[in-house]
Amino acid sequence: MTQINQIQSFNIQPLKPTNAVSTSGEIQSKFAGFLKDSINEVNEAGLASSDLTNKLVRGENVDLHNVMIASEKSSIMLQTTMEIRNKVIDAYQEMMRMQM
Amino acid sequence: MSIFNSINISASALTMQRLRMDVVSSNMANSETTRSKMVDGVWQPYRRKMVEISSSNGSGSFASIFNDTVQSNTSVGSGVKVTKISEDKSPFKLVYNPEHPDADENGYVQMPNVDPLKEMVDLMSATRSYEANVTVLNASKGLLTKALEIGK
Repeated sequence: MTQINQIQSFNIQPLKPTNAVSTSGEIQSKFAGFLKDSINEVNEAGLASSDLTNKLVRGENVDLHNVMIASEKSSIMLQTTMEIRNKVIDAYQEMMRMQM
Repeated sequence: MSIFNSINISASALTMQRLRMDVVSSNMANSETTRSKMVDGVWQPYRRKMVEISSSNGSGSFASIFNDTVQSNTSVGSGVKVTKISEDKSPFKLVYNPEHPDADENGYVQMPNVDPLKEMVDLMSATRSYEANVTVLNASKGLLTKALEIGK
């Protein structure tokens, strides 16, 4: 049902020239969507890591190195997220300090 | 996940070396096994097992194979995989031991074609390769964490 809705909303988008300048609202929503997708990806990596750890603890057939690699991957992705957050907050604070 | 490509390749190598170790342990454990499987009502001794290793290219999908063919070997592939565990066809060792329950009418027993010396060499090779691949993996991880320090 959600997929059908998506297709409909895609079809009723107004035609516009390809080199049109995006409004600030569009850019904001694009950025928000990108941020949400990235955070979801990081969350999925963390969930995969904890899933593998649980399997190892329960004694299922998983390799120890795969558990360690999954946890390292999720740790690197989380660190990347934190770095990007720091950059965004730095930029925001720079804007707020601007003299009018 | 292209940034984790090298880590995924190292992970496949680690899994492959673990499997090699499993095969070596099986060979060592069965180095005295005279009853492995029944063939025509006669017990056959254990045959030494070996792994066949091949490099795995991409995901095996049509797109990846097509790209590999068109761009003529520009992809790094996606690591290694074990395609088959095959048996050593070399003849069994014959040991004279008439008291053995599996001795033939001349008093000879067929023992497995496992050479503990070869198995130890295989074990050391698998251990060292595992360590080497862990080093590669740590290097890739170090690169990624170093990249996060850009602009600090």
